[in-house]
This record gives sequence, C-alpha cells and structure tokens, in this order.
Amino acid sequence: MAAEISISVQAAGFDPGAEYQHLRSGNYVDGATAMFVGNVRDFSPAESGEKNPVAVLELEHYPGMAESALTDIARQAAARWPLGRVRVIHRFGPLTAGEEIVFVGATSTHRQSAMDACAFIMDFLKSRAPFWKKEIGEGAEAGSWVQARHSDEDALKKW
Amino acid sequence: MIKVLFFASLREQLGCDGLEAEAAGIASIEELRGKLAQKGSNWQSALANELLQVALNQQLSNMDAAIKDGDEVAFFPPVTGG
Repeated sequence: MAAEISISVQAAGFDPGAEYQHLRSGNYVDGATAMFVGNVRDFSPAESGEKNPVAVLELEHYPGMAESALTDIARQAAARWPLGRVRVIHRFGPLTAGEEIVFVGATSTHRQSAMDACAFIMDFLKSRAPFWKKEIGEGAEAGSWVQARHSDEDALKKW
Repeated sequence: MIKVLFFASLREQLGCDGLEAEAAGIASIEELRGKLAQKGSNWQSALANELLQVALNQQLSNMDAAIKDGDEVAFFPPVTGG
C-alpha cells in the first residue's frame, strides 16, 4: 500500500509531540516511528573554531518548488522502504535560537526502514530542496548567507 | 515570455527578485544566462558563478536544458536548508 505523505512549508511553528500523535493515530501496523527535529542554534561555527553569535536565522524558500521538492524526496523514500506515514515540515521566515526549523517523521513495520528513511530525506533535503539560510548577528549588520558544505553533497553518495 | 526568478544571495547581488525575458531567440537556459549577463557587470559576475544552480518549471535542471515561451526559470546559489 502506498505511503501517506504529508508535506508542509510554513512560517508557523509546529509541535513535535502533536506530529508524533498524527503519525501514530490509528496506526497499528507500523511498529516503528522515527523522527528528526532540527533546531536553530544561537551561534555559527567560524573556520577559526570560534563561535559567532546568531540572533536570528532567516529562512528563504522558493514557494511552490519547495513543496514539490520535499514531496518528491518523500516519494523517493517511500519507494525505497516500506513506509506507512511520512511527514515533513520545513519552516521559512525569521527564526530565533531554540526554535524548531525542520521535522521529518516516518513510520514503518521495522525500525531500520523508519530511521533510514528519515536520514535519507534529511540528506536529500539539505542538497536538493530550495531553502537558504541567512545568519543575522546581534548588531545591525546585514547578516551572512550560510554556504553549502561539500559534506552535504557527499552525504548523498551513501544512498 | 519567460519568467525568471532569483533567490537568496543571488537576488541580493542583483538587487532583483525576478523579471520577464522575451522568449524569441533564447533556446536554452545557458543562452538566457548569457543574455542576462549583458545587463551589467554585476549581472555578469553574479551569473558567472560556477556553483549557480537552476530550476526549470520548479524542477532542478541543467544550464544546457532547452526552454520555450511560458517557462519559469529560477537561478539560485546552492541550497542550505534543513
């Protein structure tokens, strides 16, 4: 049976506990639920090893394509593993330290499938979904765009 | 017409989030990029970035992809979400 896939790209926050309940509600087939939550840090690691303070993380996205890219990635995961439900949430707009920025949840009959699906979706999301982060410090400076890392692209090779 | 969009640091470099380009005489994204680069030195340097990514009708694409009237083409730097 095809997996139930639910994607949200939103400015509003979300409740990971409520998302877990949605993944589990009436679901007596899948014995495994894996979830990943990404949170905003209050610093940016500098090459020198120092930590630059970040007051606000501004998330820009490509409306329309962001939703379709996440749906496509979730469908690829559902084609690879026997998933029951898949839920992906990605926020945009200004976010402050500690806030949830991304949620990936998957249910499956077995734990490895659920965990692999979450890791796969996060890896592809980071290199294929049109979102960009801008770190804004404590002062009045304009902020700086987060640069893509080679390690993110390399992470795709294991799949 | 071809709808052209720019995102993130590229949008800031160009001071422009999008425009419409005449489709006549533009057969590929690479040709569109070349035409846009003629708009000024900042356009030329920003669009020459070898890491620049492109989407055609909201699907990741390649610079050599063919385009036609009515298409939506977006240029942007490597993505950093998640």
